[in-house]
Amino acid sequence: MSNVALEHDYGIGWGGASLAGMLEESERIFSETGHYGGLDELPLKATEPIRYEKMFSRLRGGLVGARETAMNISASPIVREVGELCFALYTPEGDAITLSTGIMAHVHTMSMAIKHMIRSDYETNPGIAPGDIFVNNDPQLGGVHNADVMNFLPLFHEGEIVGWAAGVVHELDVGAPQPASMPIGTVSRYEDGLILSCMKVGSNDTLNRDYENRIETAVRMPFYWVLDEKCRIAGCQIIRATVERLIAEEGIDTYKLFMREVIEDARRAFKRNLTQMTVPGTYRVPSFMDVPHEEDKGLMPDYAAVNSMMNCPLSLTIGRDASFHVDLDGANKWGYHSFNCTPSGLQGGLWVVLSQTLVPNDKVNDGAYLATSFNTPYGTWSNPDNRSVSNTLSWIFLIPCFTGLVHALSRAFTARGYLEEVLAAYPFTGNITQGGGINHHGQDAGWSNFEHSSCGISARWGYDGEVSGAAMWNPEGDMGDVEAWELTEPLLYFGRRIRPNTGGPGKQRGGSGWECVRMLYGTERQILFHCNSGHVFQTSGLYGGYPGSSGYRHMITNTDMKERIAQGLPYPVEDRDTEDSQIVANVEADHLIDRRCHHFPVSQSEYDLYLSVLNGGHGLGDPLDRDPEAVVADLNSGDVLPRFAPTTYGVVAEQDADGHWVLDQSATDALRADMRKQRLEDSVPVEEWMEGQRGRAADLDFIEPVAKAYRESIALSENWAALYKDFWGLPDEWSPPNGDASGRDR
Amino acid sequence: MLEKALIPQILAIDAGGTMTDTFLIDQDGNFVVGKAQTTPHDESIGFIQSAKDALNYWDLGLDASFPHLKTGIYSGTAMLNRLLERKGREVGVIVSGGMEDYLRTERAIQTYLGYPFSDRLHVITHHHNEPLVPRERILGVRGRIDLFGREIIPLYEGDVRDAVHRLVDHDVASIVVCLLFSYKNKDHERRVREIGQEVMAERGVAEKPIYLSSELYPTRQDFPRLNSTIMEAYAAEPSRETLQVVQEVCRQAGGRFELRIMASHGGTISINARELARTMISGPIGGVVGSKFLSERIDVPNIACTDIGGTSFDIALITDGEFSTKHAPDIGRILLNMPMVRIDSVGSGTGSYVRVNPITNRIEIGPDSAGAMIGVSWPEGGVETVTITDCNIVLGYLNPDYFLGGDITLSRERAIDAVRAQIADPLGIDVYQAAAGVLELFEDQLKNSLLGLILGKGYTPESYTLLCYGGGGPLHVAGYSQGLAFDDILVPAWAPGFSAFGCACGEYAYRYDKTLDMALLPGDGADKRRAVAEAIIAAWDELKEQVNAEFKKSGVRPEAVSYRPAARMLYYGQLNDLEVPVDDGYGSNLEKMLDGLYDGFEAEYGKMYGLAARTPQFGYMVTAVVMTGSTPVEKPELPNEAEEGPAPPTAALKAGRNIYADGQWVPAQILDLQRLRPGNVIEGPAIVESPASTMLVPAGRTARLDRHSIFHLTTDAA
Repeated sequence: MSNVALEHDYGIGWGGASLAGMLEESERIFSETGHYGGLDELPLKATEPIRYEKMFSRLRGGLVGARETAMNISASPIVREVGELCFALYTPEGDAITLSTGIMAHVHTMSMAIKHMIRSDYETNPGIAPGDIFVNNDPQLGGVHNADVMNFLPLFHEGEIVGWAAGVVHELDVGAPQPASMPIGTVSRYEDGLILSCMKVGSNDTLNRDYENRIETAVRMPFYWVLDEKCRIAGCQIIRATVERLIAEEGIDTYKLFMREVIEDARRAFKRNLTQMTVPGTYRVPSFMDVPHEEDKGLMPDYAAVNSMMNCPLSLTIGRDASFHVDLDGANKWGYHSFNCTPSGLQGGLWVVLSQTLVPNDKVNDGAYLATSFNTPYGTWSNPDNRSVSNTLSWIFLIPCFTGLVHALSRAFTARGYLEEVLAAYPFTGNITQGGGINHHGQDAGWSNFEHSSCGISARWGYDGEVSGAAMWNPEGDMGDVEAWELTEPLLYFGRRIRPNTGGPGKQRGGSGWECVRMLYGTERQILFHCNSGHVFQTSGLYGGYPGSSGYRHMITNTDMKERIAQGLPYPVEDRDTEDSQIVANVEADHLIDRRCHHFPVSQSEYDLYLSVLNGGHGLGDPLDRDPEAVVADLNSGDVLPRFAPTTYGVVAEQDADGHWVLDQSATDALRADMRKQRLEDSVPVEEWMEGQRGRAADLDFIEPVAKAYRESIALSENWAALYKDFWGLPDEWSPPNGDASGRDR
Repeated sequence: MLEKALIPQILAIDAGGTMTDTFLIDQDGNFVVGKAQTTPHDESIGFIQSAKDALNYWDLGLDASFPHLKTGIYSGTAMLNRLLERKGREVGVIVSGGMEDYLRTERAIQTYLGYPFSDRLHVITHHHNEPLVPRERILGVRGRIDLFGREIIPLYEGDVRDAVHRLVDHDVASIVVCLLFSYKNKDHERRVREIGQEVMAERGVAEKPIYLSSELYPTRQDFPRLNSTIMEAYAAEPSRETLQVVQEVCRQAGGRFELRIMASHGGTISINARELARTMISGPIGGVVGSKFLSERIDVPNIACTDIGGTSFDIALITDGEFSTKHAPDIGRILLNMPMVRIDSVGSGTGSYVRVNPITNRIEIGPDSAGAMIGVSWPEGGVETVTITDCNIVLGYLNPDYFLGGDITLSRERAIDAVRAQIADPLGIDVYQAAAGVLELFEDQLKNSLLGLILGKGYTPESYTLLCYGGGGPLHVAGYSQGLAFDDILVPAWAPGFSAFGCACGEYAYRYDKTLDMALLPGDGADKRRAVAEAIIAAWDELKEQVNAEFKKSGVRPEAVSYRPAARMLYYGQLNDLEVPVDDGYGSNLEKMLDGLYDGFEAEYGKMYGLAARTPQFGYMVTAVVMTGSTPVEKPELPNEAEEGPAPPTAALKAGRNIYADGQWVPAQILDLQRLRPGNVIEGPAIVESPASTMLVPAGRTARLDRHSIFHLTTDAA
């Protein structure tokens, strides 16, 4: 027994142990035996497989029911329309046993928050007792960003703690200086809004009045938070009742054994899945994200108003022993922006990807976490060495990072022949439309539109992606109804159209994205912002497929919309084509078109327009291999603009009298033959090409954001520096020009 | 058994995909079931054949009986099939400008609606539906109404003219109009219709029907409202013709009744009703309506209804004599905004496949099923994976020689071999243990769903009577009620035909919903309260007019209609409303009416989500008003025969066989349902067989057949 356990001899843990002692013991046993709970066998499952399954089914039913019931209490359209909530049940030590559907990113982030409370000896102070309510939204303790607010209820049986029920909801407003749930342009956590770091906020199943006061004064439209909190607590209480019934029926000893077995069982299942579906090896996938804040000078501090880029050189190593290691070695430094991540957030991202790919089933729990390992190097954006950094929009970095993991897994599935599991990763989940101010109800409110949870789905092996499907962080995406969003947002929808050319070209095309044109009305002004990858493609397509389109920004201010409406003149319901913009054609205004999709919020006025382009999925395979008839169908459906059919796909088509496109097969054959020939003529041996580029690589002769990212990566990781030198054939003594060893800026 | 002359009074016919079932009831509650092959090209042929088959049992002919019928209820799958097979009308659609891609982007939820949990997570499996209307026939018109019903942008009438011309060019059969926020302000949609009619007149084409979402389904949520309205034009309207043919055939046979259909809101409606798409799914609704009827007749206010079929387990609750209603159901992976009796479905039934996952070595039941192919035990079915039915065969519960009354013969050996190879050996247990374990797990999962629903509603099993029906129900009810202290457990002798029976029990009722969105905030004074109350009452009056207009088509006068007003409410800011019935005894006292609404809402909310979840400090919102109007119709009588002694007659005893229970083989009594008498008590272990169903009474429990032909199964809970 550890010292901690001895200090608290009559603790709330099992057999009088302290909770901290139980956690320490649990971790010691796992590290020594490699089995959760030290279980090298699963006695309950082996001897009574039916009873084991019945117990599991009972708990799962309780969790799913908790979510279904609790969901109805919430006021937030992002809970009701998009399902942004999730519940889970944990062991006393905070390991997930089973979970509901929903935002599964949080199954392990909530685990980390529980472990934080245990390690900080909450058992002694503030105390952990039946009926207590805890809250957390501090991503450094457990979570992705502070918009995700979680409640925890400890579960007891005859004075002993037997677990935790927890629930999480994405809030609409977090009381930051800017309205909405995920402010952008914040440079430290002190601007992130209300942060509640694992606090005890209630007892006897009742929230403390001082806590309620705090909420009612600290966030905009507090009824959203209050009702969401009731939703979380009600769900946790349903879970508690489920566990109590199960213990009454099966006995406490059986339940204790069961919770250990079910986690160990899932750990083993994960490894067996991995063995069956993948080929061991190391899979590397870099991904990137732009942070173009230079033009926000004056709005943000000078040290923050710079252009930079995230570098995420992810590697996945699958061992012959079915080990699964994700490594971000080589990631660059954190920054003064809203996108920094925490190790907890990265665990959340890992969970999302695993539960959509390797283990998409109802048996998933922290066993999968225990079967994996994850390196988030200290000092990088993935694990900042500065506790004051901002995290409000850490998904902006998490999404590309884990898109890389899907890429890596897809290659591993291909290698093994599991072609039906191959997905050309994900597009970046944008544009994210957020804003706030005095709204059309006359109330001061922030809002976060979550229609971006249904971006295009990328191409799959053998068939195209889907338009408007899912988000990397939520497979159960949904864009909700226009009539639901307009309840809270003072912007009229002028349409939701499929946006041509947003799906990545390929033999199988990525699912198209779509676009919304909206007009501010019923309010003098609103703070509005965009969020999208504007300067970079976060990752590539797969096997020769192109990525889906990146984002752009089109700000439309000082419009003549008022006059247009009065005179019945045309107004735009789509943009369709940046080079032949329907917005420009149909409204007189100041048009600002650029790639600054991440920007400090700006104020817009009534009758201004707002364009939101939702990204399309990535393509798979060479576009020249695409069935020409499929390209013609894309022309007729408007998924592809006519001028790109020959240039991207090598397809020649003509319009008939009715305007329908018809394939010209022989011209297509000829064009494709030419294009293939041209490719051969343009190509050079890789070594030759690298020879030509070596000088640039040595001088870091790139635009500054790229050079800066590389300087930081090289400074933070000797391994990555060595890889860089090795790849480009640079001498050992090479070091990056124009940067000091710390990777700090010049 | 029958002494008096039989005068058939109620005819309920369910035209399924393959068979058309008839449920015929006489004035004393005697009933008989007839069957015939469904005739999809002309459903009236199957209809008449099936009715004849039923009448044959009573030695009656069509002409002798149809003139006596007081009620004829029809339910069919033609409309649903039209939807699923995408064989509806060629419809044109007019939407708000810019929203023309509605059916291509759908709501993303429609890419995984109806999927099991694992596939919901597994994004690679998600797919959009094939649109009911191609993009080229969906056109936009500019103009905008906002959420308050204000016209922010006038309707661009030129857009409307262009759109109608193009749809006429496409030669569409009808035009559907769904504009944003039209539920709040109908003006633009009405103007679209006027212009449409003008254009068609100018072009000299026959006027095509124009369906307005603001008239048919005027509630918030544009996408489900569009879907519902399209459904009406696309699938329901062509089915109306089918129904009219059936009605005509009835008339020719001397029937003087008006053919009605079970609608999603749980009332029956005329085949001439305006909103016919509500009759898309009638079978499962019928079961719940039948339960409500039973609840009234035998005076049991709270019933948990359970229906096991081949592919699913359906659960619904009757609480205080009422079923609950959901407002955004989905059918065939399409979201709708019509009221529908709340039925929760679990994707496992008697045909569900059972497998041991080779990776986890854990048992998985479903979600796919062998459907009509039964299982491995039916060699002709070609099924290779074990099903729940196979496990029942292995354990002796089902008689392989009496399946469907002996119409087909099942092979117990095949079932045993398959269960051994696929389940028992991988788990390392005995074949009978394995089959019993699978059933235990299956029934336990059903039990969890049932319990979850009851607890989620804020009740406990003690406050409910469990009712079981459907072909598979009676065999598993003992299992899924195990350990639950239900007040009573009822199994009607006609369990397999209960849904058809239920369709005959429905009220003749029209229901209309209308979004209102009126807030009542804490500081609101008497004037505001009065204005809200008046708006509510005005909306009820408007809906009453709609109810009356529908009844008028059937010659029912307003004096013969009774009205049930209700309101849908939530705490200000919330999105999910609850339906609160209103006692219409408030007279002219508006405050009393409002207080009744608050109290009703608070009580319902507290029950559902716990008292701690109540949040009256934010005020309330009346999101929608509801008006149901009904008129009395002939309903079935329950069978009612004097009870006899507890001992079943010897004629009811069939040859005994062993069944597997609690780990051993025990001899069980086998009884013939058709020969049991009211008052008989069956002591377990026993099995009651009938051609369409098998009931299991386990050891230690008994089932008493009452005067209404309903078994009362004792509980085993302490």
